[in-house]
Amino acid sequence: MFGTGAEPDARFTLANERTFLAWIRTALAFLAGGVALALLGLDLNGELRLAASLVLVVAGIVTPLLAWLGWARAERALRLGKPLPSSLLGPILGVAVSVAGALLLLAILLK
Amino acid sequence: MLFDPGLQPERTELAWRRTALALGVGSLVAVRLLPAVFEQPAWVFVGIVGLIVAAVLWFAARQRYRVVTEVLMHDGDRAVLPGAALIVALVAVVFVSGLAALVVVLLAPMRELT
Repeated sequence: MFGTGAEPDARFTLANERTFLAWIRTALAFLAGGVALALLGLDLNGELRLAASLVLVVAGIVTPLLAWLGWARAERALRLGKPLPSSLLGPILGVAVSVAGALLLLAILLK
Repeated sequence: MLFDPGLQPERTELAWRRTALALGVGSLVAVRLLPAVFEQPAWVFVGIVGLIVAAVLWFAARQRYRVVTEVLMHDGDRAVLPGAALIVALVAVVFVSGLAALVVVLLAPMRELT
């Protein structure tokens, strides 16, 4: 798969793959949420609703890239017997959900 | 013959298939919704492409499982597993879907599904 290091235990490689796929499904959920929010005919403040949608969709766009990066870095760490790198994905998505939720709350309150 | 009591290859196949389902469901919604929202039948192709990719992933999951178990049987747990091509392809598909979603969100204030 890569040129460097030794082949890691296959179970770790498969676990890494499943982690990547979980992030991909998360990205799809973010995209679906952002689009649904934009398309449903809800009585909300227009600008704030758009902002919430954009936060969700941008998070969904960024996530597959970071998931791929995380998968590649973990694979490299496994091959070289080094500690697994930490990922920015958790904090970023956590913040995105909170920000989108806050914007949505404001959109409801300030319609 | 079971290589791994932890059933990792099986779980990995299921993970790929779950991902295919998520993409498939989203694509079905896109097929239903986008042409109606934008009053333009051509939008149906966004969802159709998604459905095709989801089908490819579904069958690639089984194919990948077969390759993985075959390799593990012969080469033990230090085997060379299938490469990253499918992963890169999936990243590209989701990224492009995200760009499409961005277009939808930006154009949506002009139209609404009620």
